[in-house]
Amino acid sequence: MSVFTIEAGLALLGLALLLLEAFKPDISRRTLGLTAIAGTSLALVLFIFAPHDNASLPGFIQPWHQLDSLALFYKGFSLVITILVLWLTLECAPYLTRFTVDGKLAEMFSLPLIVCAGMMWMASARDLVTVFVALELVTVSFYVLVAFARKSAFSLEAGVKYLILGALSTGVLVYGIAWIYGATGTMSFDGIAKALANPATSKTTALFGAAVLLCGLGFKVAAAPFHMWVPDVYQGAPTPVTAFLSVGSKAAGFVVLTRALNAFMAEGSIIGSEIQALILVVGSLTVLLGSLPAMFQASVKRLLAYSSISHAGYLLLALACRESARFDLSSGGVVAFYLATYLPMTVLGFLGLGLMRANGLGEDIKDFTGLAKRNPLLALLMTLSFASLAGLPLTAGFLGKLFVFLGLADHGYWGALSCAVIAAAAGFYYYFKTILAMYTTEGTDVPALTFSGPAKAVAGALALAILILGVYPKPLQKVLTSDRPAVVAK
Amino acid sequence: MITLGHYLVVSGMLFSLGLAGVIARRNIIIVYMCLEMMLSAANLALVGFSRFHLTNGLPDYTAQSLVFFTITVAAAEVAVGLAIIVALFRSKQSVDVESVTKLQG
Repeated sequence: MSVFTIEAGLALLGLALLLLEAFKPDISRRTLGLTAIAGTSLALVLFIFAPHDNASLPGFIQPWHQLDSLALFYKGFSLVITILVLWLTLECAPYLTRFTVDGKLAEMFSLPLIVCAGMMWMASARDLVTVFVALELVTVSFYVLVAFARKSAFSLEAGVKYLILGALSTGVLVYGIAWIYGATGTMSFDGIAKALANPATSKTTALFGAAVLLCGLGFKVAAAPFHMWVPDVYQGAPTPVTAFLSVGSKAAGFVVLTRALNAFMAEGSIIGSEIQALILVVGSLTVLLGSLPAMFQASVKRLLAYSSISHAGYLLLALACRESARFDLSSGGVVAFYLATYLPMTVLGFLGLGLMRANGLGEDIKDFTGLAKRNPLLALLMTLSFASLAGLPLTAGFLGKLFVFLGLADHGYWGALSCAVIAAAAGFYYYFKTILAMYTTEGTDVPALTFSGPAKAVAGALALAILILGVYPKPLQKVLTSDRPAVVAK
Repeated sequence: MITLGHYLVVSGMLFSLGLAGVIARRNIIIVYMCLEMMLSAANLALVGFSRFHLTNGLPDYTAQSLVFFTITVAAAEVAVGLAIIVALFRSKQSVDVESVTKLQG
């Protein structure tokens, strides 16, 4: 079974669940949720054992689809995050249903499957048309997901904001694609790289198109100065959707950005140095504009949103460093590694937030006061997640940041490096402020907080992933090195 | 004689008008219409570039295929978008951008 069939099957399963819910309204949400999780898990297993070379794809799709190590990594990544989000939705269902119109969560289980298929297609896109269609499949589904709890004024407001800014970024993106096409006469990434190496190509047109295209993608990955929507949307959206946006949508944006920049900054490109300078400046701005306001947030969900912006900044800085030969990782490989470490720690953080909401608590830092007394295990897991997000050594987050910092130092980008260091220091402040709140003993008459067995198992697995990746990252590095035998360059 | 430049100027004007409308207008429905105008501007640029990029004497149809995808996607976006805006109107009795200012840090 080819990888493409699995993706199509996943989208079809999403549609089938949607219809099933529409025609059999008395079906329980547990059945729906578990079917979706089982389907995605099956897709993950099939994906692991499917043939991983381009020749295995159906002939009609080959000109637009590729399976290199990056595409395979992001496909697996999408499947894993989708399973986690579906499970998190099921766990948060009791309080989420209070905010939906008919007390049901049907589309919350079918749309993530469609989003997942979109992200998987995006990961292997070879040209801008495929990128555009897959990106919109993901974005339009997210409009619905963000506004899903529409009895809550916050969710609805977040939905409207995401809708307007998402549609704006789509318009900008297509306009950028038009100008890139105008300059190079092609839509495929390989063709663009080739055309940009030709000195006869108009530099102004190409630069304009590339800059507009990067603005459009900047919206999607929350790069400064287009990051303004992130805190509002992340805070207002239902917690599982926020986790999905923060990890899945970001990863999908970065795989496209990696491919676009690989084309724009290829060897001998006429606009390479300008684009690199642009990415460095935007990356430095993003880390600062993400980290500094985060210090003053009262809501942990909003704090995680700002932290997500600053992580996007580190990823952009990683992309600006070409040819970091130090770890056998290309710049795209460093980004993929960072995202792999980012997944367990972010999902663990949002899982903790979701569990607190399910226990009737709020999402502010003051709600975390004395958490260690209410439930020591949850406090410990949240501590691990936040410490890793801050980049404490021996956790996964440390290695991701280390790779970025060393890459910047190797190239002598001292200005960007100092911005990144300032942002990381600010990060330590606001993450440890929250951790400190958990371990203060004020308010001793707090009720205990419980969470279910499966939740403990998943949280434990995520925590273990953080520690293992932090101590022994070799296997992951191996997956991402480009000289993998399964990869057939075309 | 109408050249590529004419198409690009019109498309650029449409795009800037749309962008200005998105920034300046207060009514969300009008903002949404301006967004659609930006997509049309991009489509016009794509068709223009395609028409003047001849291969073997014929226009290159890659860009025109993207235009069809854009039109389809824009339709899907409008369907979802208007549903969300209607939901907003039902709960707030207003579609002014001032009605969505609850989320602040």
